[in-house]
Amino acid sequence: MFFDAALIDSVPRLVTPVLLAATGGALCERSGVFNISLEGMMLVGAFAAVAGTYYSGSPWGGLVVAMIAGAAFGLLFAFFSVWRNGDDIIVSIGVNILAVGLTALLLRSLFGVSGQFDDPGIFALPAINLGPVANVPLIGGLLSGQSVLVWLAVLLVFATHHFLHHHNFGLRLRAAGQNAEALRTVGLSPEWIKTGALIACGALCAVGGTQLSISNVTLFAEGMSAGRGWIALVIVMMCQGRLPWILLGALLFGFIDAVGVRLQGLDLPQQVTDALPYLLALLVLALSYRRRMGGAHAA
Amino acid sequence: MTHLLRSQRLKLIGAGLIGLALVLFLVPGAGDISAGFLNGAFGGRNFFNLYATLGRYAILLGMALAVVISFRAGLLNIGGEGQLVLGGLVAALVGAYLPAPPFVVAVAALLAAMVVGAGWAALAGFLERGTGVPLLIGSLLLNYPASFVASYAVSHPFRDVASGATQTFRIMQEAGLPRFNGTILDYGVFLIGAAALAYIVLEDATVFGYRSRLRGYSAGFARASGFPIRRLYYRTLMLSGAAAGMTGFIAVFGSSQRYVDGMLTTPLYAWTGIAAVLLAAVRPRLVPVTAFFFAVLATGSIGMERTAGIPREFGQVIQALIVLTLAGFAGKLTAIAGGRR
Amino acid sequence: MLVPKTDSNQGAVCSLRSVSKSFGSLKALSDVSFDIRRGEFLALIGENGAGKSTAVSVLFGLLEPDTGHVEVEGTPRRFVSARDAIDAGFGMVHQHFKLYPELTVIENVLVGNERGGPLARIPFRAAESRLRDIIDSYDFRLDLNVRVAELSVGEKQRVEILKLLFREASVIFLDEPTSVLTPQECHSLFAMLRRLQKEGASVVLISHKLDEVVSNAERILVMRRGEVVAERAVAETDRSELARLMVGAQIDTPTKVNVATDNIALSVRGLTVAGPSDKPRVNAVSFDVAEGEIFGIAGVSGNGQKALVDALIGLEPSSGGTVLFYGEDITRKRVAERRAAGVGYMSEDRMSVGLAAQGTIAENAVAGREQTAAFSRSGWLRKRAMIQNAQELVEKFDIRTPSAQQLVGKLSGGNQQKVVVAREVSARPRLLLVENPCWGVDVGAMANIHGQLIDLAKTGCAIVLVSSDLEELFALSDRVGVIYDGAIRRIFPRAELDTFAIGAAMAGDGQFSKDYA
Repeated sequence: MFFDAALIDSVPRLVTPVLLAATGGALCERSGVFNISLEGMMLVGAFAAVAGTYYSGSPWGGLVVAMIAGAAFGLLFAFFSVWRNGDDIIVSIGVNILAVGLTALLLRSLFGVSGQFDDPGIFALPAINLGPVANVPLIGGLLSGQSVLVWLAVLLVFATHHFLHHHNFGLRLRAAGQNAEALRTVGLSPEWIKTGALIACGALCAVGGTQLSISNVTLFAEGMSAGRGWIALVIVMMCQGRLPWILLGALLFGFIDAVGVRLQGLDLPQQVTDALPYLLALLVLALSYRRRMGGAHAA
Repeated sequence: MTHLLRSQRLKLIGAGLIGLALVLFLVPGAGDISAGFLNGAFGGRNFFNLYATLGRYAILLGMALAVVISFRAGLLNIGGEGQLVLGGLVAALVGAYLPAPPFVVAVAALLAAMVVGAGWAALAGFLERGTGVPLLIGSLLLNYPASFVASYAVSHPFRDVASGATQTFRIMQEAGLPRFNGTILDYGVFLIGAAALAYIVLEDATVFGYRSRLRGYSAGFARASGFPIRRLYYRTLMLSGAAAGMTGFIAVFGSSQRYVDGMLTTPLYAWTGIAAVLLAAVRPRLVPVTAFFFAVLATGSIGMERTAGIPREFGQVIQALIVLTLAGFAGKLTAIAGGRR
Repeated sequence: MLVPKTDSNQGAVCSLRSVSKSFGSLKALSDVSFDIRRGEFLALIGENGAGKSTAVSVLFGLLEPDTGHVEVEGTPRRFVSARDAIDAGFGMVHQHFKLYPELTVIENVLVGNERGGPLARIPFRAAESRLRDIIDSYDFRLDLNVRVAELSVGEKQRVEILKLLFREASVIFLDEPTSVLTPQECHSLFAMLRRLQKEGASVVLISHKLDEVVSNAERILVMRRGEVVAERAVAETDRSELARLMVGAQIDTPTKVNVATDNIALSVRGLTVAGPSDKPRVNAVSFDVAEGEIFGIAGVSGNGQKALVDALIGLEPSSGGTVLFYGEDITRKRVAERRAAGVGYMSEDRMSVGLAAQGTIAENAVAGREQTAAFSRSGWLRKRAMIQNAQELVEKFDIRTPSAQQLVGKLSGGNQQKVVVAREVSARPRLLLVENPCWGVDVGAMANIHGQLIDLAKTGCAIVLVSSDLEELFALSDRVGVIYDGAIRRIFPRAELDTFAIGAAMAGDGQFSKDYA
């Protein structure tokens, strides 16, 4: 059977990295930063998680190191884009190249390998077994046995949403994205607000990267973010940074990913299935922009 | 504003050079590093490394040309990678399968590569004009299907299985770009240099160049002045894609003689091309210089790895830092796209 | 109070003391001192660039002065951000509203006034009841939970005032508050300001409109070139003296004479431009403009005048109606074809539509004609001809620039607009579409530009002039049509021009012109 439980069960782990990165991207979008370096920030997180696990001996150490590294990249972005008033697109390009170069460089200098690093000393974050729930048909495998990161991701999305709409900083963050100069006239600094959004975004992307490197597998491979950051960006643009929709969008792409994996099992070449999310992304973007264009002629 | 920007840029470069000189004098072993770097970029037996630098320069200049053509007109085509890959793949297939005299094969491969590159760029343009997907995103996302298609082509239907690698068959040997006597350097660098020169003249002295430049300064101005917006848009974009496709042809018909999986994506050629254009502040005349700089940085880093054991990826890190620092000096892309001559 | 009070700051809530401020080589303020007294209605007037905004920005903590300082109730203070000014009880309604369109009214009010740290919850409940009281008390008619993007311009301004009342500001600055309002809306705004004043607030009006200054303020400060050049009580001065003080000299304003012929140049019939919703942005507009006539279009901005002009030049497709140009149907023609036929266009968005700021004067001056034989030959530019053309225009139109190769972005606003005028006039148009030609230009350049338009009309060119400045329309137009909600409501001949009648039509109260209904 094509759509069986195993396919459904694989969706959460495929959704998680994209969902986390998209949540981070949404914070940037709402605060008025056009961050297209989600891809690079994820890659950094994936590497830092492996390195952190290796040196601390615990995947939780890996998670913490990843978040710190991601936050540092967010801060780096903020320094050049917000404080030096650089162009978001140029800074993003720089950050993406830096992520590729730095992870490869550290892979060589810390572990003496290139391409890929795995080691028996790297452990995965634990999965959460829900005991009897695992035996419930259909949703048992979906809910039970998922990595702790899957649940953390869901929690973070709702927490971020709540924070944006019910807490002062969230209000200011949304205001910064609407009219940064107006914030200055009430004595608030749009710079610091955007910096905060970028740091949070870096950390969230890095947690997404952690899901890639120390959850279902325990290794780092160069370029292992493999375009998921771009998919996350597409989801952010499609949903205009609105979090409940982002959850939905991420689920859609996770599902397509899962279908792709399944199709590979049916002897379809991997390259064809790998292209699926991108073609879907283009289609979805085309449709959503077409709808938006339909209204505003002069836009 | 512009001369302020320029003087800051000079200060930046000056500070970098002084810093570099200090490091070379003061840090023990730095002499080895710099010797390794210089040797890697310019030296080697019979100047082997210099030719390697020039070979890489041809590709980087081609990609930078593709970027500057579009950026100059305010079109943020960052999908050069897809256009490059498809150009390279198609060139390799024409080179390997077209039964024709060598010269015809070469010309057909070049034209096919340019057409495919232009078409892929036009597709991103169609997505923007037809459905409103921003060119930046559309062109970028199209990179992925392009490289998956190429990867599929060389691992399944067109794979040279006997070679053991994921690559196409060799192109017809006599059709390959001729090389300079006794060196590994082919004429590709001339071809792309001529293309760059042609664009510099075109941009400066023709009505097309004038319109594309002023469109880059302000799209609203171009519309209100009655420029043929649609034609200008597609023409510029396809020219940009064709330059990327041509670069793919040069890579395949030059050194490698076939398309090898990942040969055009792994070294981040397209992104380095963007970096070169940004360093040149989108001024066409400076692009050949900045592209050369990045070619030297890449091959120099390889030399540094050989002599001083510093991983070559260090070069990429430096490149990234240059882009970031530039961002802090250059201001907004919308304001610098089109910068001054 | 430790600081001894001098006579000059008797009753002053705040003051500037010897404040100077430069931006590069430009001296924006030199040694400016003045007081704002408790409960007074002060007007700060001056031309664009006279230093009004800079002075207020210093008072408001948005700019730090090079020398001098701000005093609050006689105590020297150093404001490092607007927060300090707000805490001192200052509030400001900016000319360009400081609102967040996608946030609701209550969220807009609360940003920056939330109290509590960044992690605290937004105090919606506490704010809501107070805001409702204020809204009722001042009859603001605002819904707290609607997005600001959906409000009208007048309502947005009330949100700005609501913010100030919410934080109980005692000194209220208003920067050109009436530039987007109808005369009737202005009336109620000033009524409310006088009420605030009666309740003890100080009101500071920053304006260059002498009428509203003379009829509302008690005391007037005139600024010119970064200095306070005069102080007058309203009773002891009049408009013409104030105008002289602002400008520093008598300016000869060009006078309009009627040169229109019976020959119809432009004939618009039922022109409609679709909008984002079902409501069209331009709704069945009809009018004629004769050869040599200047046809003014008045209206509160955002009522379709922009879309109307865009449709006439061809930037915007029309969804219905026809446009005849000397009898030829140009409704479906492209911009280039209209320009070639003799239609010119001066956009109000000078920096990104009227000009390419990063281009040279020479490049900008040929735009639209780059492919004519004068400036190119079989696709190759005739650069020398381009530069020569620019040099001639610089000479003829009095463009102050070091060379014809200067980047347009480096010129002053007035000179930039002269480049636009030079380009359009030198193309010898038979119809010129003009939008707000004098936004952000100084008085001298304004007289120059008005003179050019009048002279152009004398050559037989028909001119459609959209302006938000009634004075400008009255000075130049042979007839003025009033646009409201996408439709031309009434057309006034020059002899019947009247501020209040036009104001009523601008607010949509006018009788609907039956001819075209």
